[in-house]
Amino acid sequence: MPGTAILGRRRGPERVPARSELVVAIAGNPNVGKSTLFNQLTGATVDTAHYPGITVEAVAARVEWGAQQVEIIDLPGIYGFGARAKDERLAWETLLARRPHVVVAVADATNLARSLYVTLQLLDLGFPVIVALNLTDEARRREVIVDEQGLQAALGVPVVSTVALRGEGLERVRRAILTAGQTRRPRGEAYSPAIEERLAVLEGFGQVCEIGELAALVEHARCRLPQLPLHDDRTALRLAAERHARAGRIVAAVAGRSREGAGDRLWRFVTRPATGVPVLVAVLAAVFAVLFFVGEWLSVLLTTTWEAGPAPLLRRLVQEMVGAGAFADTLLWGLDGGIYAALAVGIPYIMTFYLIMALLEDSGYVNAVAYLSDRLMRHVGLQGRAVIPLIAAAGCNVPAIMGARVLTSRRERLIASTLIALMPCSARTAVIVGAVSLYVGWGWALAVYGVIFAVGLSAGLGLNRLLPGQPGALVMEMFPLRRPSPWLVLRKTWARLRDFVWVAAPIIIGGSLLLGALYETGIVWHFSRPLAPLVEGWLGLPAVAGLTLLFAILRKELALQLLIAFAVVVYGSAATNLNAFMSDHQLVVYALVSCLSVPCASTIAVLGREIGWRATFLLAVAILGVALLVGGVAHRLLPLV
Amino acid sequence: MVRRSESTEEYLEAMFKLSRTPEGITVGRLASELGVAPSSVSQMMRRLVAAGLASRDIDGHVTLTRRGRREGAVLVRRHRLSERFLVDVLALPWDKVHEEACRMEHALSPEVEARLAATLGNPTACPHGYAIPDENGEIAEDVARPLADLQAGEGGVISCVDEAEPELLRYLSSLGLLPDTSVTVESVAPFGGPQLVRVGSSQYALGREVAARVYVRS
Repeated sequence: MPGTAILGRRRGPERVPARSELVVAIAGNPNVGKSTLFNQLTGATVDTAHYPGITVEAVAARVEWGAQQVEIIDLPGIYGFGARAKDERLAWETLLARRPHVVVAVADATNLARSLYVTLQLLDLGFPVIVALNLTDEARRREVIVDEQGLQAALGVPVVSTVALRGEGLERVRRAILTAGQTRRPRGEAYSPAIEERLAVLEGFGQVCEIGELAALVEHARCRLPQLPLHDDRTALRLAAERHARAGRIVAAVAGRSREGAGDRLWRFVTRPATGVPVLVAVLAAVFAVLFFVGEWLSVLLTTTWEAGPAPLLRRLVQEMVGAGAFADTLLWGLDGGIYAALAVGIPYIMTFYLIMALLEDSGYVNAVAYLSDRLMRHVGLQGRAVIPLIAAAGCNVPAIMGARVLTSRRERLIASTLIALMPCSARTAVIVGAVSLYVGWGWALAVYGVIFAVGLSAGLGLNRLLPGQPGALVMEMFPLRRPSPWLVLRKTWARLRDFVWVAAPIIIGGSLLLGALYETGIVWHFSRPLAPLVEGWLGLPAVAGLTLLFAILRKELALQLLIAFAVVVYGSAATNLNAFMSDHQLVVYALVSCLSVPCASTIAVLGREIGWRATFLLAVAILGVALLVGGVAHRLLPLV
Repeated sequence: MVRRSESTEEYLEAMFKLSRTPEGITVGRLASELGVAPSSVSQMMRRLVAAGLASRDIDGHVTLTRRGRREGAVLVRRHRLSERFLVDVLALPWDKVHEEACRMEHALSPEVEARLAATLGNPTACPHGYAIPDENGEIAEDVARPLADLQAGEGGVISCVDEAEPELLRYLSSLGLLPDTSVTVESVAPFGGPQLVRVGSSQYALGREVAARVYVRS
């Protein structure tokens, strides 16, 4: 048995009362399909993509297989014991704290040697492992056939070939987990304590000894074996070298050599500076073009459809049920105005954006972006890896801030979180495109992006100078491009859009109802009066627009949607043209302020958790100040243009 | 050997190390190597030239004189012997020995230096794999150069990884970037950006700071 039991020895029989629930962890290198396997095994929809570091937390789900309760934990990717970033540390902490009954080590069949390193380490650390040999379809395309039986013999643990994406081999994985779980193997003979302690040191636990109970183990070793160097790096290097060599020998025995595929050639095309930089510029331009034109087309399509049938019907229905008057008007605010707004702004732009994001992520093109932009990112104190959460932030800031965990220092996470909070997310894009591009012109929309970009850039440059320290160094595994699976892209887009529809739509309708009630009863003017000096005097906006900006803290696109709902009610749905009561300049100022001002409630919540409440508070106040400043200045400068 | 101030010794040591790189000694590289302002480097250069340890040609290029080179080599030797001693005999943590050795090297007399070398069995390389100059100041020709200096399409075998960040070293080792592994530079991002490096069947993007710490021989 290859497993020693560093962990096993400390796990006395009394500590594990035959748990009825089977705890299974999915571990392995980044980007080998752990989350895809997790989704398939549990029916969950955890985010997946073709780049490393998308899973940054340990996600657990409970399933029932026959009579057996199973808890499955999806872990962030790891390369070996040791952690540079928070997500990797979290993976080891979870493994050591939860001590799963079965660890499914997911291996990449196209790059088996890489995957076997961490598999061997898991085995050496005494984890009960089964190997899921994933991406075997991709391997076959590259004419790599892995001898499953041979690998099983070499490792001494069950090996199952899978194509997690299409659910191939799932049933066998499930059976292997259950079998491994039933034979919960006796915590065999441990090495003598002295050897175990040495092994703990060699594996580098000294470096990461805040992880779990290993701190105690290493401390113990320090007391008992004072002559043992706690950071014996030469020996650790030798151990790493020998383990790599062992992985290499196993691969040579059980797998053929990989042949270059079309993805590799395309990858070279997009990373060579001479071709890669123009491609990057073209891709960015295409993203914006698609967003503007497809988004607008969808918006018109959806709203005309709504106006053609459901809207008049709804209005008649309300009139018949509650008659005319303030109550009916309030209802129409929420239902007619709210739904119209969601169809005009939320769904078309957000869906288009999610679709583009899914394509970029699943093709692996974001790897190339991280690689090409590293040098530029250093100016704002970040490394190329930070580009991925920043791109994700253009979708939604919340997962992006969590994605910043892949960065190695608090300094970087702080800068990245700030830039993410300033990045126009899809909701803010909806405001920019829905208000400015649609009514004022796309050139102005670009100008708004330009201003926001300049604010973000200055924030990055400033923080890089103010905060002590240096940007971290880029070390990131790269993957050749892959053709994204259309089904997976659609499923991912839908999963994200569904969150928008189920979470955001009720807020939009509820917000519209509330604003409607305030408006119809005239209370709205009591609220907007205190804001008037700021909103009317400083920003030059209608008072009611200021009120919608306040609501925007719930969801960013709510600001514009409430404004549209307002227009629908006051001027009738034929006159949804915002120009009816706001000038071009006012719309630009409005878009600027609503995009820059305090991040939405969910972003604030996740910021507080990731960078601390004090930093979050300072950040929110600073951003609000900048928003008001930029808005006020724009109000004064725009007439001069 | 004349007794020099500690800072003079630091300069000689750094200049000796830089003189063995393709770019040679420049004020800018010295300033960043020693963490001082370029103006203080220029000032020290004038003093070293006056003392006959360095010379400056008409274009302003700095080289060490025979004597300067000799003294620099002795300091590098003392530094690397000290590191060996700290690791091999005192079993000190690996990430601490560089700084300790920086302090020790200035205190060693030629006699202690000789005994130290004899006690350690006349090692030829420091714990990180750099060559140790012999007692005459001669150093084995270093065939290794930083990975960061390689152009797209070039490759080599990793000879050693620099010391600054032990955690990084460990991380790189788990990625397979280990001594005696062959690496190829696939492409180099523009404007001094990262390198795309192939190791076995994996590809990694390595920032310049990281690639500068990985030494390869051809």
